[in-house]
This record gives sequence, C-alpha cells and structure tokens, in this order.
Amino acid sequence: MRQSKNPNIDNKTDKEHMFRYSQILELRRWIKVIFRWKNFALLNVTNYLISVTKHELSTQCLSPLITGADFETMESFRSLTVTQRDQILVEQQVFDIFKTFYNLPPSSQSFMLELQRENHVEYLTKGLTGLGPSFCVLDANRPWICYWILHSIALLDEFVDPELEDNTIDFLSRCQGPNGGYAGGPGQASKILDIIIVKLLPTIFCMLTMPHLATTYAAVNSLVTLGGDKALSSINREKLYMFLRQMKDASGGFRMHDGGEIDVRACYTAISVASLLNILDDELVQNVGNYILSCQTYEGGISGEPGSEAHGGYTFCGLATMILINEVDRLDLSSLTDWVVFRQGVEGGFQGRTNKLVDGCYSFWQGGIFALLKRLNSTKGVKPIPLGDGEGSGEESPQTTASSDAAGEEGLNEDLSLGGSHSKIGDQHNTSSQVNVIDIDHNHSKGHANELNGGLRDKPGKSRDHYHTCYCLSGLSVCQRSWLEDEDSPPLPRAVLGPYSNLLEPIHPLYNVVLDRYREAHEFFTKS
Amino acid sequence: MFSCYYCNFCKNRKTTGPFTQIPNPKSVLILPKKKKKNRAAHQYHLHLSSVAAGRQPSPLRRPLSPASSVIGAHHRCVPVKLLLPPSPAFTTVVAFSAPAFSRRGPTSFQISALKPEEEAASVAKAQKLRALQTQFFSFHHNKIYTKEAVELSAKLLEINPESYTPWNYRKLAVEHYLSQPDCNPDSIKSVLDDELRVVENALRQNFKSYGAWHHRKWVISKGHSSIDNELRLLDKFQKADSRNFHAWNYRRFVAESMKRSEQDELKYTEDMIYKNFSNYSAWHNRSVLLSALFEKKAEGFLSKEKVLPEEYEFIHQAIFTDPDDQSGWFYHLWLLDQTVTTDSPLLASSWPAHGYDVLLVEERCYNVTVECGFNKNEDLLWKPLSASNSQTARVWVAHLKIPSSDLHSTVEVSVGHSKGIISTRGFEYSHPSMFSFKVHVQPMERDFSQVSVAESISLREENFMIYGTQSEESIINSFNQLSIKNGHESTASNWRSEALAKEIECFRELKIGKLTLARLLMACDVMSYPFANKLVHSEEVLELYSDLMKLDPTHYQYYKDEHSMVLLQKVTSSKESLLQHCFQYKDSVSSAICGPICLRLNNLSLSRMGAFEKLLWVQMLDLSDNELQSIEGLEAMQLISCLSLRNNKLRSLTALEPLRKLKLLRVLDISYNEIGDHSIDTTRYLCSSPLSHSVGSESNKDETVTSDVALIDNWEAFYIFKDFNLNQLDIVGNTIADEKFKSVLVKIVPKLKQLDGKLLG
Repeated sequence: MRQSKNPNIDNKTDKEHMFRYSQILELRRWIKVIFRWKNFALLNVTNYLISVTKHELSTQCLSPLITGADFETMESFRSLTVTQRDQILVEQQVFDIFKTFYNLPPSSQSFMLELQRENHVEYLTKGLTGLGPSFCVLDANRPWICYWILHSIALLDEFVDPELEDNTIDFLSRCQGPNGGYAGGPGQASKILDIIIVKLLPTIFCMLTMPHLATTYAAVNSLVTLGGDKALSSINREKLYMFLRQMKDASGGFRMHDGGEIDVRACYTAISVASLLNILDDELVQNVGNYILSCQTYEGGISGEPGSEAHGGYTFCGLATMILINEVDRLDLSSLTDWVVFRQGVEGGFQGRTNKLVDGCYSFWQGGIFALLKRLNSTKGVKPIPLGDGEGSGEESPQTTASSDAAGEEGLNEDLSLGGSHSKIGDQHNTSSQVNVIDIDHNHSKGHANELNGGLRDKPGKSRDHYHTCYCLSGLSVCQRSWLEDEDSPPLPRAVLGPYSNLLEPIHPLYNVVLDRYREAHEFFTKS
Repeated sequence: MFSCYYCNFCKNRKTTGPFTQIPNPKSVLILPKKKKKNRAAHQYHLHLSSVAAGRQPSPLRRPLSPASSVIGAHHRCVPVKLLLPPSPAFTTVVAFSAPAFSRRGPTSFQISALKPEEEAASVAKAQKLRALQTQFFSFHHNKIYTKEAVELSAKLLEINPESYTPWNYRKLAVEHYLSQPDCNPDSIKSVLDDELRVVENALRQNFKSYGAWHHRKWVISKGHSSIDNELRLLDKFQKADSRNFHAWNYRRFVAESMKRSEQDELKYTEDMIYKNFSNYSAWHNRSVLLSALFEKKAEGFLSKEKVLPEEYEFIHQAIFTDPDDQSGWFYHLWLLDQTVTTDSPLLASSWPAHGYDVLLVEERCYNVTVECGFNKNEDLLWKPLSASNSQTARVWVAHLKIPSSDLHSTVEVSVGHSKGIISTRGFEYSHPSMFSFKVHVQPMERDFSQVSVAESISLREENFMIYGTQSEESIINSFNQLSIKNGHESTASNWRSEALAKEIECFRELKIGKLTLARLLMACDVMSYPFANKLVHSEEVLELYSDLMKLDPTHYQYYKDEHSMVLLQKVTSSKESLLQHCFQYKDSVSSAICGPICLRLNNLSLSRMGAFEKLLWVQMLDLSDNELQSIEGLEAMQLISCLSLRNNKLRSLTALEPLRKLKLLRVLDISYNEIGDHSIDTTRYLCSSPLSHSVGSESNKDETVTSDVALIDNWEAFYIFKDFNLNQLDIVGNTIADEKFKSVLVKIVPKLKQLDGKLLG
C-alpha cells in the first residue's frame, strides 16, 4: 500500500466522503464530475504541456472533449491502481457521451435516444441466419445464441418469419437429447443440413453432444419465446424432468451437466425450466434453498459457490430461484437490496461485482433484481387461491420481504415512489437505461457514419454482440416498467426514455421471457 | 452465462499476462490500439455534426483547451477512409478473431466484406473442424480411448475450451485408463499430468472457461498429481486478471486440498492488496480466511481481540489512501460486523420481566403469554415468531397455563437449557438463565377488552391524558427490569469497545465516512447500552443520518429507515424519554380514572418500526401520522389489543401480515393509508411458483364458509382478516374501502362490531 495519506485528500476534506457510491452518486451529473477531475488537476498545472505530449496515447482513448485539466488526471494515474485507472477511463468515456448529449438541442436528443428498431432486428435476424466462423467459440452454446436473438426480437415486438421459426424449432429439437435436456448443439446428424438455422455456424457438431443445464434453459426459453403448439410441444417434459433429477446433487444443488460443476447458475436454470414447464416438484426443490443460502455473502449479494464473492448474475439467479421455490424469505433481503443498490455506478449502469467496471448486461442481471424485489411478476388473470393458514403450511409469508419494501419505497417525491429498494429505483433504473440507450445511439451514430448497424454492447469502446443486445434490451424493458404502480397502466413517457416508440415488450423477470409468451406457455403447460 | 463469451475471448487476447498470444503480427500493424480509439471518436463527431444540421457544428467539436485543440485537429485530419482499411489482411484477421478485434468496426461490414477466397478459407477451416468433431464423436460413442483419440479431444478443446463434451470424454478416458490392470503409479501420474497440460492450454485460450477449471479440479482431486505446481500456475493467472473469480475459487480449492495454512493464504492476499488495494477479490478472500481461522480457533486467532485491531490498521491504509475506492469500505463493514456481533445470542428482554407482578383480571383465564428474546424452558414450548417458516427468529413465545386454583403464584421460567432456540443468524441460545415473576389472579371487575366490546375506542387527542409518574404499580416501573443483564460478555467485550472508540476517533478526525461513523457510533451505543443504560451518541447519529439524507438523496430511504430505528431506540432508551410518550387513555363516556396506558409514537415520521425488545409490554399503541410502509416485526408485541396505524403509507392489505400473529388485537385503525392505490402489491409474490398453487388448496374448507363472498376478488382481505378477532376497525380513507368492500369485510370478520365508527347491527 502506498503512503497512508494522500495529498489529494487534503484537497477534498471539505467534501463529503462517504461510501464511494454515495459520494459519487451525489455528483452524478457529469458537470460535477468534471469539476472533480479539475480538482485533481490543479495540483500540477505547470506540468501541463509536458503531460500533453507524454500522455498523448491515453488521451486518445478519450474523446477530444477532454480538457487540459484531464491530462493532469492522467498524470495522477500513476499513483492510481489499475482498477481505478480503468474506472476513470470508463467514467470519462461515458460522461463525454452524456455531456455531448446534454448539449444537444432537444430534437436531436430525442433522435439520439431513438431505438433503431429496424437495425436491431436486421442485425439479430442476420445472426440467426448465419454468423461468421469467428463464432466457433460459441459452438457449444448455440441454443444460447438462439435465445439471445429470439428474445431480443420478441422484446422489440417483432417476429421471425415462419420458415425461420420452423427451422429454429427443428434445430432445437435436434439439440434435445434422447434422455432429456438440451445439448449445446444438434443431436443425431440429420439430413443434409440445408436449413438456415444450422448455417448459424459452419462448424457443426453433427453428432450427439450431451445435455447441459444452461443450454437447456436457453432452448426452453427460446421455444417459449417462439410460442405456438409446435414449439411448446416439441419439449419432452417427462424426459427433461428425468434429466433434471439426474443433475440433482445430494447437496441440494444442481450440476451443470453430467460430471459438471455445481453452482447457483445450475440451480437457477434447473428450477426456472422446471417451473416454466410446470414440472417442478418437491424432489427437485429439496435443499436447493440451503445451497443458495450458503452462497449469500456478508456483502449481501449471492456468490456462485460457497466462499466466493457476491456477483450480479449469481445474485439474480439465486434470488429468482428462491422466489420460484417459495423460500425467498430465508435470504437476507435487506442486505441484498443494499448490495444491489450500491452496484450502480456513477455512469448509470451496473457493475457485476464490487469495484468492477459497469457493463450493459448487468442492466438486466442487477436491474432485474429490482423487478423481482418489487414483485413485478404478479401475473394478471391467474389469481392465486388464498393461501392456507400461516403456521406450518409451506406457504410463503411475506413479512421479511415486506421490510425491504418498507425500507425501500418512496423517496422525496411521492410520485416517484417505487418498491423494492432503499433508493428511488425508478431513478436508478432510468439512469441505467440512459447509459444503455445513449450507448445504443452512440453505436448508431457510428452506424450512420458507415452503414446503419444494430446491436448493443458492454460499454462504449466495446463491440456489439448478441449476448449484450439481449440483456441490454431486457434491462431496458425492466426499467421502463420500474416506475409502474399498476399492471395495466402504460409506462410513463419519462420512464421509457426517448420517444415513446422505444417502449419494449414487458418481460417476466423470473424467467426473462416476454410476458405474453410466458402466459401462453403457462397456459399450455398447466393445461397439459 | 453472465460474462460474454465474446469478451472472454477477447480479454484473453488482450491481456498482457503470461499467456498472451499475439494473434497476428499483421493485425497489430494495421490496427494499433491507438488508431482504433481515434476512429471511434471521429465517427461520433461526424455524426453529431450532421445531427446539428450543420448550423453550428463548432461548439460540439470545439475543444475546451488549446492543447486538446491541437490534438483534436490532428485527429480530425485523419481521412475517413482510413477508418476501414480495405486490406484483405485486415478483414481476414477480423473475421477469425472478430471478438478480439472488431472493437470499433461494424461486424456486418466484416462479414459482408469477406472476399470469396477468404470465405473459402473459412469454410475450409470449418470443414476441417467439422471433420475433427465427427471423428471425435465417433470415438466418444464407441468408447475408444486410444492415444490418438485422446489427442484429438485435446485438439478440439484447444480450439474451444467451452465445449464440455470433450472434457467429459477425457474424464471417461482417464477413468478407463485407471481401470486397466497394468497401470502403475508412474503411468497414472503421467496421464494425469497430460490432463493438466490440456487444461492449461485451454485456459490460455479462455481463462474463464467453466469446463476447464472444473476439469482441473477433477484431476487434482484424483490425488495423484503434484499440487505444488498449481499455486505457480494460479499466480500466473491471477497476475493476468486479479479479479478472475474462477481463479480465486480454484485457489481456495487448491489451498484446501494441499492443506496450505490459512496464514499463508492470508499473506498472499496481503501481497495482492499491496499490489492493488482496489482488488476487492483479495479483500474478500481475506474475510473468508479470517472467518475460517476464527472458527477453527487457530493459533494466534483464538480471540478476535488481537487480530481485528490489526486488520483495522491495515484497512485504514487503503481507505485513507483513497476514500473513493469501494473495496476498502466493504471490508471495513465486514470488520465492524465481526467486532460487534457475538456468536451467542443474548436474551434481550422478556415479558413478563423479572420480578414483575402480573395481574390477571379475568375470569376466563386466558393464557399468559411469555415472551423472551431467545430462550427455552424444558417444559415450555417455545415457538418462533417470524414471518417465514424458518425455525429461526428474534422473538420466541411460549404459552403458560396458570392453574386457576393458584391465585397468587410465582412463576419461574428458565431458558437456554435445552436446544431449539435459534437466532436469526443461526446460532443457538445456550446461556441458561432464569427469570421469575408473580401472577395474581383477581376476580374480574372491568376488563379493558370488555370495554372495547361495549364502547368504541377512539384514539383521539382529547382522550389522552399525560401519563403521570404518580402511578405506583405501573408497567413502566418495571422498565428497568426489562433488559436482562448478561454478565458473561462484559469483560470479553472490552476490546470491542476500545476498537470501536478508536475507529470513531479516527473517522471523526479525518471527517470522512459519515455513514460508517454513524454505524460505528450506533454499534458503540448498543454495545455499551446494558451497562451505561443510555445512548450517548444518538443525537449525533440522528444528525448524521439527516445530513446523509440531504447529501445523498439517491439513498434517501435507506438513511430514513436507519434514522427511524435510531430514533426509536433513543425514545425507548430511558424511562424518562419513554414516559413522554406514554399517555393514559381516558374514555370520554366513562370517567374511570385508571384507563389503560397507551404508547403514542405518532408524528415522528417513522418509516420503520424497531426497538421491540423495549416495548413488549405495550397493549395500546398509536403509530398514527408516520410514514410507515411496513410494520414488519410488530408481531413481537404480542399484547397489543389496540393499534392505530392511521395516516401512514401502507400500500396493501398484505402489508398487515404481521398483525395476523397478534391474537389479542381487538381494535385496529388503518384509515387514511394507501391501500388499493396501486395494483402492484410490493409485499408479496403472486403465483410465482407452481408449488404455491398446491398450497392454496388447503383453504378450501374456509371457502365454503364465505361462499357468498366474492372471494376471488378479495382474497387478500380474506387472507389477512379471517383470523382476526377484531371488534372495531377503521378503514376509511383508503382507495380499497368502498361500500362493496366493507360489506365483504363484515362477512369475513363476523365479530366486527364497529366499522368506520358505525355500529354494525
């Protein structure tokens, strides 16, 4: 560690230093943050010109809007840790976008915020019909690509054309193993693989690969997203159930695949699939709660396996699983809420773990947690029968969960009140979407310079991909509805962010499938 | 699943760690990092100017300082066509390593720009791979584990470490080999070493591959290979990405397998932290290791007394070096938690309190409820009072039957002798303690609960009299006895107070960390409370939280909750302050002087209830005009018979769930809340699980009782109210409370005598 006292601190003692988050969130708007860098800068103004030449490279990582003061920030990078330097770089990149954005006239702002639906759909459909060989790294995860793409398309309220739909169903059925579950690639070599979907990758596993829980989850969600009898009935539920039972470990957790690793992800995918297909039973649920409970860390979030640190994706999985098995009250929900709230960075997006960089996909993993805490998953039309007597029955009693809400709801403005967190989540969400959307548009503006492009990405400076497109859109959909107090009322224009045409389809946050498609599947599987 | 596979791929390529593979010298030449960035900035601005309709493009593009103007101008000179170098070499590289190098370029361009010959090349490559796979699967299916076959799987894994089938195949191959009769330890070792080598190669390709890390664990747990090499390997990976949680998980696994001492690992985290104190993974592992050491009571870690102060010193270096860095603060939070909490739960209070006289003025001898913080008597059946079905709770209740013949008896209750009382943190209460109280059964004269049957209770200002201190045998008198003193912790906790005092001093001096300071002060108060019997710092803490609410409005509600809790603790901390909130209820009709005592905590802008351990005796509670959204924990106050929640912010009927456990509740005022305002009920999950559908069927028998009521539309009301023995209910001022709903209520709660001030027939 360096010297215990940094000269910078003297400069800042007049400011309020609390948690980094608290302090920085209060400086959320970029202007203030720019001031902060200036404070840094004042330390060493004389070296200014030298630093300009010295740091040419690093400044180029940033946009030309950087002032001389910022070069001084670069100078102070030397005493910063790697983590801090990366953080500052990302912040500056994002704030530059914000800054530019706020300087625009309102009409251009609206244009910038507009979701380029056609481009996204084009990008996505292209992905479904054929990707470059570079994607062979994803070879074992092709149902995932299907899911990311189909779900994104559904979020945009578009449909794939019937032929492609058929092909996808066909492709996924061939991934389905003879003993249940879905593998990462198609099973028995079928006839000549002339189907478009299998052009997905020119490199094809023509043979049986073994089923895997994550790809099973992706395949089931894809089929639910496609909807229709053909898709839904292509799932062999009995076999799938047997597969899930096989994956069940004595400890209560699930294995990803035969001989595979046990973690919270496996629990979520297994329970989610079982619940969606209405094959969840006590055998599957047994001790899952204990396993997940053992993964909640002192930070409040949930880790992938016991002893590891809390992680956004696992926290979502753990929480969703606990809700699905009716044991959510066993978690320490108020500390979990605290943890998630503080995962939002100044940039608006969410980080996955403590002191990491923000990433667009966590708009869903972390943002979805708010939707879960807020119980957005109450499904209309299917009213539950009043539960049995509180004592003894397996019923879920909401007292402890109520606390988090109690804690959570309502900020200073009554009309902004939202459930589920210690903060004004609406606000939080909105900003998180801001990053994404502005980010989208940043992408778009690039697109204009070349050809128009769809797709979303991790953060400015990264390239788009289907995974991030899927989870950024899911996150956006969640946060558009995070201000809602009523199931039927449409989201407020300010919550939608940008023109109202940006409104995406609502999702069921437990499964991350579009709500309508969930309802169809729910009906289908409860009936049969 | 959470991390993007593309990114794994690219991170792998980008790292400058030991495994960096410079993908292709050409690509580096064509696409130096610096130029990529340039391009991005450029495109962005080109676009913006077009958006601004060319009117005045300069403000956007005008650099803010002369220096950057130089740079900016320089960059802007870059011709646009440079953005997409059309060289075939470029496109090829991009096509094959797209995840790594398409950072800025549009992918569709790369795909569409594939020239015929390149496409042919890529197809050829794909075909080659396909052939490999076909062959591999035929080996796999026919259970062929020859050297050649195994090597083939290695080849596949090198191309794609994420494909899990080859990993499994290799496991089978190893098992197959081990089952051979002619294998000797040496050959086993060489086979397993081969496996390790394959894993290592795969990890170089993608160091976040779940399959590869798992395979390595599997091989190591076979026990034949040397484990010492693993730490060296880990060092390499952890240098490349110090936050890789796979590596940290594996490290914990290795340390455990090789029985490496926690102390050594602790030293390792220390080194990592010195290298980069922002590395939260290292801090986290430190907390895991220390917890394990405390649990094991290892040499030097017998008590936290020595270790924790050193840890505080250590964390100070990080926090004070840069207060803006997140990692240190989280570790500090853990330290504080370790300092404050003791593993064994303490008996905080009980009702009836020790040495207290209970006056039973009732003929129909209802059960005396005895509540204790955490406790247990062999003969008493203690039940947890908690919302969830878990067997842990903060409050436990036992019901005592007083024989009616015994008019004056002393009851002795001992707790903690047998198992079963488990705190919310999962620890058992194991300090046997005892308290006793006297019970007097008096012939009934006029009971409070009888009053409510006949007349209405109106919690209005005019009905309250300041509670005089003159009352001799009052509930408040026993206040001091409410808290049961536990001597056994007093000496041990000296160092805790010292550590806290030191921390407080430190943070006060440096004027950083208001929230941490508030937490420290509160912890200090709570710890010293049983001895000092007053809260020294509560004013200061309240002020800190008020400041925080202003400074950090984003987390307003969190501070507000904490503020409420501190306020309640302050109010209940001394007899004097509590007396200010105690009023004597005086009926306007009858002129009885000695009415029941009402605790009025109204108008304190509370957002949360707390300090229950001091309020177990309360029978009449006024919480009106607050900002309560939840009454979680209220079930602890088992004696409540009259409760006002008027003018709060309760949003749904299910928020009243805690009241279901209050069996003595007769009068309830929930008027002027927000029940029914919003259709999204934030207090419970609805039909989230197929399991919950089956649970509901139990209530069918109840359904018949109220078959004429539109049950489906009012199931919440039914669920909450059906167990109530309410006599009087006020619900006016809620959106839900229309005439129809009221008529339903009357049916659900048959004993109801009065609804919204109107007597029911």
